[in-house]
Amino acid sequence: MTVSYEEWEPVIGLEVHAQLKTRSKIFASSPNRFGDEPNTNIEINDTGQPGALPVLNKEAVDLAIRFGCGVHAKVATFSKFDRKSYFYPDSPRNFQITQFDMPIIIGGEIVADVEGKTKTFPLHHAHLEDDAGMLKHFSDFAGVDYNRAGVPLLEIVSEPCMFSPKDAVAYATTLRAILEYLGVSDCNMEEGSMRIDTNVSVRPKGDKTLRNKVEIKNLNSFAHMEMGIEAEIRRQIQAYSKRPHEDPRLVVPSATVRLDIDKKETILMRSKEEAKDYRYFPEPDLPPIILTTDYIEKIRKDLPELPHERFKRYTEKLKLSAYNASILVNDKSLSDYFEEALKFSSHAGALCNWITVEFVGRFKDSEIDLTTSGILPEHIAKLVTFIDNKKITGRIGKEVADVMVQKPGKDPEIIIKENPNFQAVHDTSAIEPFVDEVLSAHPQSVEDFRNGKDKAFNFLVGQVMKLSQGKASPDVVKELLIKKMLPGK
Amino acid sequence: MYKKTASQLHQAFLEGNLTASEIASGFLQRIQFLDEEVKAFLNVFADRVMEKAEKLDGKRAAGQPLGKLAGIPIAIKDNIQVRGEITTCASKFLSNYVAPFDATAIRLIEEEDGLIIGKTNLDEFAMGSSTEHSAYQITKNPWNLSYAPGGSSGGSAACVSARLAPISLGSDTGGSIRQPAAFTGTVGFKPTYGRISRYGLVAFGSSLDQIGPFANSVKDIALMMEVMGKPCDRDATNIKKTSEPYLDHLEGSIQGKKVGVPWGFLEGLSKKERSIFEKNLEVFKQAGAQIVDIDLSLLKYSIPTYYILSTAEASTNLARFDGIRYGKRSEKARTLDEIYDMSREEGFGAEVKQRILLGTFVLSSGYQDAYYKKAQKVRSLIIQEYKKGFEKCDIVAMPTTPTPAFEIGGIQDPLEMYLQDLYTVSANLAGLPAISLPTGKDEEDLPHALQLLGPQMDDGKVLHFAYQFEKTLKLTGFIPPLFDKETPS
Amino acid sequence: MEEFDKDTLIQLARLCRINCTDKELEILLKNLQSILGYMDQLREVNTENVPVCNHVSEAIESFMREDEPSASLDPETFLKNSPSRVGRMVRVPTVIKF
Repeated sequence: MTVSYEEWEPVIGLEVHAQLKTRSKIFASSPNRFGDEPNTNIEINDTGQPGALPVLNKEAVDLAIRFGCGVHAKVATFSKFDRKSYFYPDSPRNFQITQFDMPIIIGGEIVADVEGKTKTFPLHHAHLEDDAGMLKHFSDFAGVDYNRAGVPLLEIVSEPCMFSPKDAVAYATTLRAILEYLGVSDCNMEEGSMRIDTNVSVRPKGDKTLRNKVEIKNLNSFAHMEMGIEAEIRRQIQAYSKRPHEDPRLVVPSATVRLDIDKKETILMRSKEEAKDYRYFPEPDLPPIILTTDYIEKIRKDLPELPHERFKRYTEKLKLSAYNASILVNDKSLSDYFEEALKFSSHAGALCNWITVEFVGRFKDSEIDLTTSGILPEHIAKLVTFIDNKKITGRIGKEVADVMVQKPGKDPEIIIKENPNFQAVHDTSAIEPFVDEVLSAHPQSVEDFRNGKDKAFNFLVGQVMKLSQGKASPDVVKELLIKKMLPGK
Repeated sequence: MYKKTASQLHQAFLEGNLTASEIASGFLQRIQFLDEEVKAFLNVFADRVMEKAEKLDGKRAAGQPLGKLAGIPIAIKDNIQVRGEITTCASKFLSNYVAPFDATAIRLIEEEDGLIIGKTNLDEFAMGSSTEHSAYQITKNPWNLSYAPGGSSGGSAACVSARLAPISLGSDTGGSIRQPAAFTGTVGFKPTYGRISRYGLVAFGSSLDQIGPFANSVKDIALMMEVMGKPCDRDATNIKKTSEPYLDHLEGSIQGKKVGVPWGFLEGLSKKERSIFEKNLEVFKQAGAQIVDIDLSLLKYSIPTYYILSTAEASTNLARFDGIRYGKRSEKARTLDEIYDMSREEGFGAEVKQRILLGTFVLSSGYQDAYYKKAQKVRSLIIQEYKKGFEKCDIVAMPTTPTPAFEIGGIQDPLEMYLQDLYTVSANLAGLPAISLPTGKDEEDLPHALQLLGPQMDDGKVLHFAYQFEKTLKLTGFIPPLFDKETPS
Repeated sequence: MEEFDKDTLIQLARLCRINCTDKELEILLKNLQSILGYMDQLREVNTENVPVCNHVSEAIESFMREDEPSASLDPETFLKNSPSRVGRMVRVPTVIKF
């Protein structure tokens, strides 16, 4: 059987759950914190005590509004909560409070760059709900920790508008950046503050109808998401190709699958026929969320800079390349670090290079990263300035960088002062012997230069720098060479 | 002392004629001797109340300021959380459940130096109209021990009726305060929905429940309402303005005011009940008010509307009782499914199971539109119906119940039992304040009563009319003969 | 109500985790059929264009609280009521989550 992948078009939608950066939970006032001892961030409501009542956290609503404004969605002036019933030990009440048919954010779009092309991915909606507790599994039993129960979640649902795994990764990357930039969520997939469920279906190219979709759960990194989507697309295409004359709904029924990372395959978890009846109905304990347009506009006006705005600023105003701008923009903490450094040096290009290549590179195999290393952005800016002012050469700069990494927080000015090797030599009398030696060793180059070949000059400069072990001031070297090769000029 | 109202006891305490310890021990003694017959109490806080009483006596001796409820023993329906004490909700599920927090109403009572004397019996989880569905004991009607005291707050009603405490708290979802008040010849008041915080009241029908007081005089009711009618930040459905001072508005003639009677709706009344009702209306005429006919014919649909909505909400409110976090976990259970199924099987009584099933059904997919949503619409119509009615009158008068108290075991058919609430449920559906007042006793020496309802937020008006009625009727010494005696010291 | 038969009841019981013996099922079936039959009279009411009532109180519009974290409930107070615990967590038999 030959499977012809080009005849098929994948259709992908993502449901992203982002934990909101509030100090307390969405319906309970217990602290919203990660990593503490079990059951130490709990109160009456998030452990489902009899007589408990939910009360909505204003900050969760404000963050949802911020998000809606950031993706140009409609912020509903009237939205409400509903109860979603199901039994599970991580649910303190055996119903979740969510927004079923009247969510707070409607529509919206994510604009992302996919392999050089700009694509617009429309959102269906985003709604608020509470997170469940966590189960810790042991041999033949489990322990339930309710610290996470009641943490505010914003569930962001896209339209089925992605047509390749790369689309999905671009969407997710940009969405994460937006959430981080807006201060809405930490988006830390390892800590679970950002979780992605992917829905994948496949149809013959040119078809307009959607076939059954399969949900891939528990993908905990973008790399796994890409792998999972690819595996599921393959699986579905193979299934359809094997049974081309059967009803597609029977060939690929709706189901939930998980990714087997070793086999790079998707494995069935359960079929959707066992669809649950959640019996959604309006939450009687919570009045609706009623917002005025003034309130929404105030939040919209105060929005922090969004990733694509920053990208534009980097490429248009700071003249960074699109590639470099992306690297910075997609990592908010790095980008913020860069912004801080920009306060002390306006040489954006050099700063970008030193930060994203030289310094980040030095932390590649380390557990910490540049932004948490203790190296001050101001110091990197200083380093760049010293090179610009020719106080040191680029090559010396790299050695200074090494010391800065070993001794985080140490001022490069002091590092240079303490180490005479780092100080560029300006003393003509010290450099002259090197110049003389090079000139006598390369008479052909001298001849070439006198005949107008600039390349020869650079070669000669390079040779002098080599002899001086990079310490000679390049300006002095150039001056001396010209003086000796073209006397009188 | 037992003949004194709460206000009189409070006065006696303030003036030094009775100490708090004398009051507390006096009532404890009555409970010890007489509650064997009534079985109103599930738990008596002998040590706790004596300790608080002694402290209060100390406060008075030291000249410190004293609360509005100082010296008054108050019994609490056992579905209201009192921190550190067991809350059973009259269910086997919670026989060992220790309350981790105080209900707001409890906190407000104790801030005003009220003396909480114990927990009273109820129908399990407040579901019932006779207190026969308690998993622990059957409470008797002090007027005739073979008769039911009504429900679900039967224990609280019987306790005040037999003078085992001058005040008690109940909860009213469909008449659970007013109906037992009518059966036991006491005053029972259900406030406007949201007037008293529901935080700490174990939820049955979230959009219908209210805590309310029982007493033997309207003045006592007004006193309790002043103490408890306060804003609470832990209940989002609670009214955020403090109530007006009800005690100040009890006096004042009702000359010329209009009392509305829905004669059409009352067509089903027996001749005997109708004549009692008409005699009661004469009292209003005596006080100078006019009786006007109003049309509330839609109220005939209030029972199905109420039972659909209340059981739907209850089915989700009781989902938290699953044997996981607290309450009874079946010892036979080995798997998670068994924990859910067996704990709920063993923990819940038949009436609770029935209502949960009914509530789940009316919310389930395929039936929600025809039942739940339909009932929600009829509810809107009932609210409008009352609004129209109040355009023609100041207050509405109706009997509280279609019949007086019935024998224990006398009603077996569930529908017949549900129809007991015919005149009471609509006040919950419309969120209106409503009171039941004792109006005398019939030839069988069973009490009869009158119900008054007002528009939302007009609790003061209802209390005013009730007080004027009480004043005009002059029903004195209305104590069940079996309990109209001192107990040996 | 004709559609409400034993199978409906059994499915319903599974959905809301109310386990019943056969005898209980019989009684419940009878009662629920009777009650639901009575409820059906709501069909007589004309509710065209009538809005649903989600919240009855006219005095309550919208209510939110400030994002101020409170102290946590003491874990021991919470766990004191637990039927079974492991360390500071509530203990349950193994589950496989989907």
